[in-house]
Amino acid sequence: MKRTIAYLSLLFILGVLLYIANPNYGLVFGPGGKEWLALRYTDNYYIQHGVQEVGGMNIVTDIVFDYRGYDTIGEATVLFTAIAGAIALLRPWRRDEA
Amino acid sequence: MNGHEILPYLIIIPLFGAFSMPIVNLLGRKAREAWAVIITGATLAVGSALFYSVWENGILVYTLGAKSPLGQANFPIRIVWEVDLFGAIMVLMVTLVGFLAVVYSLGYMKHDTGLDKYYTLIIILELGMLGIAITGDLFNFYVFLEIMSIASYALVAFRNDTWEGIEAGIKYMFVGSIASSFILLGIALLYGQYGTLTMSYLAVKLAQNPTVTAKVALALFIAGLLFKSGASPVHMWLADAHPAAPSSISAMLSGLVIKIGGIYALTRILFSIYGHSVSMKTVGWVIIIFACITLIVGNAMAVIQNDMKRLLAYSSVGQIGYILLGLGIGLAAYGSQTGEIAMAGAIYHTFNHALMKALLSLIAGVVIHQLGTRDLNELSGLAKTMPKTTFAFLIGAAAIIGMPPLNGFASKWLIYESSAIFNPILGAIAIIGTAFCTAAYVKVLYTFFGRPNERVMKARDPEGSMLWPIIILAVAIVVMGLFPWQISDKVMIPAVKALENQLAYISAVLGGA
Repeated sequence: MKRTIAYLSLLFILGVLLYIANPNYGLVFGPGGKEWLALRYTDNYYIQHGVQEVGGMNIVTDIVFDYRGYDTIGEATVLFTAIAGAIALLRPWRRDEA
Repeated sequence: MNGHEILPYLIIIPLFGAFSMPIVNLLGRKAREAWAVIITGATLAVGSALFYSVWENGILVYTLGAKSPLGQANFPIRIVWEVDLFGAIMVLMVTLVGFLAVVYSLGYMKHDTGLDKYYTLIIILELGMLGIAITGDLFNFYVFLEIMSIASYALVAFRNDTWEGIEAGIKYMFVGSIASSFILLGIALLYGQYGTLTMSYLAVKLAQNPTVTAKVALALFIAGLLFKSGASPVHMWLADAHPAAPSSISAMLSGLVIKIGGIYALTRILFSIYGHSVSMKTVGWVIIIFACITLIVGNAMAVIQNDMKRLLAYSSVGQIGYILLGLGIGLAAYGSQTGEIAMAGAIYHTFNHALMKALLSLIAGVVIHQLGTRDLNELSGLAKTMPKTTFAFLIGAAAIIGMPPLNGFASKWLIYESSAIFNPILGAIAIIGTAFCTAAYVKVLYTFFGRPNERVMKARDPEGSMLWPIIILAVAIVVMGLFPWQISDKVMIPAVKALENQLAYISAVLGGA
């Protein structure tokens, strides 16, 4: 019973996502020309001003380390946390002293 | 003091503390503990200064890497931090409870191994929550949500030699990762449709062109964040995770994580991003329905528990129900005075519940530490041998039920009042929930004041480092209970006004600040 409801709701979610994946109702794939400027104006800005504002020739690294460098610190922290957590959980068991 | 100068230190200090912990650890146990206390203490100082600054001067905007978020364009290109009064209240709450939990762990975690990892993770947990509370960028919110979540998965399963720790950790991790991926999918959909990640600019774009994609993204956000806040019917991970975690961690999980990762994020997204571009009434009623289920299920399940920490965990679910009820009414009655009062009650109760549940969880930890059992049937007569602890528990339990001289009364009253005005049936449901909650806590207290069990006879009140956080929290609850309406008028109502004023939130970033 529960399982049936779960599969049905998954099916529903899939249907909704397919619906909005249709360019007529939802997301546009591969926008170009006017649509590019309307939907990807931020990307356009990075491409136009990235070299002059940041100085790197690689736009992706310009974004990842300058414009959105704070997110990269966050990602590094995620990695650090994951390692700390994995080491913490894989440590030897505490001896039965008490 | 200028808020702009101190805001970065809210992130810098815990980040530095966490990353330097493996090196400080080389100096030995004392250095490690002192370092953890210094770092969280400094964060508390910064957090209180920030709260005061935002309370005095209103919304604080900070751009990372430039003077203005706009660059040479008329839209934000950089990550911004945006702290309004609601965010500042959350910052204060996180830094306060985080500091007390770290001080408490000095005594509580004494017999565990791997403590360098423990202190690293607990500081990162605090860092993740602070990052969520101050951010004004949607993807950045996700990054910090992940930091918080991953640290809490590891901390729930920290006692790897207990079967329940590992079981709860696995459950929490699987469920939590799916919930996080819902949120990431929602962010991806919004970015694909609107091309920006800044919350305030996204609000502008949404108001100009509300699309189906935005509604689907909102549904994904609500689903993911209700998971994170432990709302019914997706609360089952919480009832396993909170009892299995070390008590200092369950204080942070019950008191902070479910509110920052759930309630705060939900409120921020609904009020500040979606503001006027979706039907607030519909969304409000969706939240209210979940709130009512959560209220009844959480509190009713708390009554039948025999495990002390599991009872507290279910009670957390129940209290999240009240907060969601306030939030739902705040949305459904948006702009009216009823909605304002309900939302003020929700924010107030968030803060109060953080204090009360932290207090109760820490006390549960003391009891487990002294007696080695969480079974309520074996804890009778604790009042004889652990008088201070029992008295603090009495304060916490009375506050969570909502007894008049304590802080829980005012916040619950605001929620009762507004729900009764909004719809009497909701008021009745809230009262029924409180009846169950009262029954659960009276049951615990009845046990504590009963005839002493022989097991209890050799228990004593805990050492200073475990007792002081409990005393501080109990005093905070009593003092806040003495000025309920002053706090409500001076802090909570302005916080709601700032939250409802979406235009101010947007123009703080886009106004070339």
